Amino acid sequence: MATVQVSEAEKVYILHGIRDDLRVDGRGCEDYRHMEIETDVVSNTDGSAKVTLGHTAVLVGVKAEIGKPRPMIPNEGYLEFFVDCSANATPEFEGRGGEELGTNLSNVLYKVFSNKHSLDLHSLSISPGEHCWVLYVDVLLLQCDGNLYDAISIAIKAALFNTKIPRVNITSDDEGGKEIELSDDPYDCMRVNVENVPCIVTLCKVGHRHVVDATLQEKACSVASLIIAVTHNGTITCSRKVGGGSLDPESIFEMTETGKRVGKALHAPLMKLLQQEESLSKKRVRVGFLC
Amino acid sequence: MAAGFKTAEPLEYHRSFLKENCRPDGRELSEFRSTTLNIGSISTADGSALVKLGNTTIICGIKAELTNPTVDAPGKGYIVPNVDLPPLCSSRFRPGPPGEQAQAASQFIADIIESSEVIKKEDLCIGRGKLCWVLYCDIMCLDYDGNILDACVVALLAALKTTQLPEVTINKETSAPEVNFEKKHKLNIHRHPVSVSFCIFDDSILIVDPTAEEESLSTARLTVVMDEEDQLCSLHKPGGTPLSGEKLQECIKRATARKGEIHKLIEKVIKSMKTAQ
Amino acid sequence: MPTDTKRVRGPDVSQSPVLLGYKPAAVLASRGPREDGRQRDQVDVRPVFVRCGLVSQAKGSAYIEAGNTKLISCVYGPRETDRKDETDMKSGRLTTDVRFAPFSCPERVPWIQGSQDKDLSLMLHESLQPAVCLQRYPRSQIDVSVMVLENSGSALAHAVTCASLALADAGIEMYDLVLGCSLQQVGSSYVVDPSYLEENGWRCNSSESRGGLTVAFLPSLNQISGLQSDGEMSEETLTAGVRTCIEGCYKLYPVIQKVLTKAVRRAAPPST
Repeated sequence: MATVQVSEAEKVYILHGIRDDLRVDGRGCEDYRHMEIETDVVSNTDGSAKVTLGHTAVLVGVKAEIGKPRPMIPNEGYLEFFVDCSANATPEFEGRGGEELGTNLSNVLYKVFSNKHSLDLHSLSISPGEHCWVLYVDVLLLQCDGNLYDAISIAIKAALFNTKIPRVNITSDDEGGKEIELSDDPYDCMRVNVENVPCIVTLCKVGHRHVVDATLQEKACSVASLIIAVTHNGTITCSRKVGGGSLDPESIFEMTETGKRVGKALHAPLMKLLQQEESLSKKRVRVGFLC
Repeated sequence: MAAGFKTAEPLEYHRSFLKENCRPDGRELSEFRSTTLNIGSISTADGSALVKLGNTTIICGIKAELTNPTVDAPGKGYIVPNVDLPPLCSSRFRPGPPGEQAQAASQFIADIIESSEVIKKEDLCIGRGKLCWVLYCDIMCLDYDGNILDACVVALLAALKTTQLPEVTINKETSAPEVNFEKKHKLNIHRHPVSVSFCIFDDSILIVDPTAEEESLSTARLTVVMDEEDQLCSLHKPGGTPLSGEKLQECIKRATARKGEIHKLIEKVIKSMKTAQ
Repeated sequence: MPTDTKRVRGPDVSQSPVLLGYKPAAVLASRGPREDGRQRDQVDVRPVFVRCGLVSQAKGSAYIEAGNTKLISCVYGPRETDRKDETDMKSGRLTTDVRFAPFSCPERVPWIQGSQDKDLSLMLHESLQPAVCLQRYPRSQIDVSVMVLENSGSALAHAVTCASLALADAGIEMYDLVLGCSLQQVGSSYVVDPSYLEENGWRCNSSESRGGLTVAFLPSLNQISGLQSDGEMSEETLTAGVRTCIEGCYKLYPVIQKVLTKAVRRAAPPST
């Protein structure tokens, strides 16, 4: 992962600041940086969103394709995640450098969504055992400035909210053969219910405290972080310790508590924002990538 | 002192033993390491066996799956053997795709299966042109101390002998396969090949069942595979120093004796498993 | 799908007969005793069989068997590092590799490593790293590999225990042993050290929310070095689950200690 070199003096400065709930950029321990969200940014996807968090920038595209359901769960569709760490984000990703990070991130995303309520997978079924919708969620890291997990999860939620899946009709002919017909009307489409889609909160243990949305400098001062995926009602769908250090049980409990609180509070404003943007429809000014 | 000698001059060290017609681990030249066999230890496999030949440990697991036969051979099933030498078994192997030695071993095992007809591929057919079994024979080395081929063949044979397949019938109306796990039957083993490997030291001295160290110091290797009717299934001598016909006869004679021991061992272990149940 | 030219290849597609046959007992009861007779809602871990130093070629090795879950772990090194470009040469590098034998699960596992193996390798790495004194091994690397011979649930938890034991057997300096324990939450009840069916049975049925949790724990330092959960859990159940897993680790601790002492005794018999 992208790293920065931090001198000993800087470390002490950051550490002491965090001890007094005042971070280098003026935030408190549980504050996020400035966040910008824009949906429907890539026209040839079925749903897309771009999120910038501080200097971290993530682009997510969702493509819906018809596939075959998994043999064990014939009446559900499924999601596929792929995280591409572009060399634009940091020179370390050049060549195969970003591959490992990409697999790690996508593995976490699979875990986050591996439960029955995050997304209604039944609604993605077309005909049980034969056809279903497969949502390919492609994540592109444009710029890395710490806290990738949170930015990605928010971008995924926004992109899924924005996703429009065409409606299909199944007609069967006389011989029992089935045919899939796509609706002619481009506005006749299905939306995905994203109410239960979780957001990831990364808590970085710095000194004796933990901070939300750590910058790269803060991350360099910490040995271990905890990532927690929280839904709007506070259910934790995934948690995981990342980084080379260990944590004592008490701080894990504290961090879980903070993560749940922060994560829960993230959803309502996010949904409001997404709905607001949607209601603007054609009037909205597109910002795109030139911001 | 001896340890220093061994590391500094491994070849001389071995020679000094061979001069006295014995080997550093106390064996005679034509003596195998003690062979132990454990069968059916992996319950997720349809058949399994663990073989220890001295320190060398090989595990073989058989998984049977259903598939369509090829157009060329509609009445035959598949047997897919693979030997893996994971980085776990020795420091000489690295992670990644199988190396040369693993590939050669897989091919060797595949050739034995093909040439000796351990199992008739026709037996694996369920519905001609429609459905057949594929037996994945995955052989894995857990501890590499030389002579993996012999251990692999024993493990494969023992695993195949313990494999039980559920009964599969093709429903005439829907032409879909139906599996009956209640009724299981054993595989029909036609031939029982046993492999015996030798190493040639200094172009002339023949030793059986080499350890990893002996393998790396030797000038040539030779593997003889023989079945229960004393028929030669395979003779494998990948390069190295030449060998006289006389010596080869000696090897074949040793293999004949060894084959009996292995068959007895497999029978004994299977019998003890049955009485244990 | 990349074709594998370095192995003997079988047919392109084949199907496990398990998928065709009816599934007996796939419906898992969320009440009553467990299938193997253990207690629900209690720290009832399977008895383990553990041995050190089975692999002659490795610097250190360990084998663990819990129920039908069987794992073997080997440690090689410290040896010269492969990656010379790493900037940080002051401390050693730990590499981990977790693999499932093709015959280890009810369905055959292909030879080519999937993302699951990589994920487990990473989890193992993160769980072990805090316990190993890597600064004692500059410019070198220590390779840990784990092979799952049979997966009957809780593979990651046992892999952590087994690998840390192999590291200790190899004489690698460590701050503490690392023990692993996992738990499966089904509705309001939980099972510790779940079996394969208890871990994966939910995919077919049950509308109850469920979650899985694996904890790696350093017992004498009281530190958690690895934590992973998935599924759905409330904060309370997660916290309670972590506590339960720690308790499970403590149950395992004396057994592992005994095995290690035995291995050390054998390696260096006390001079009388």
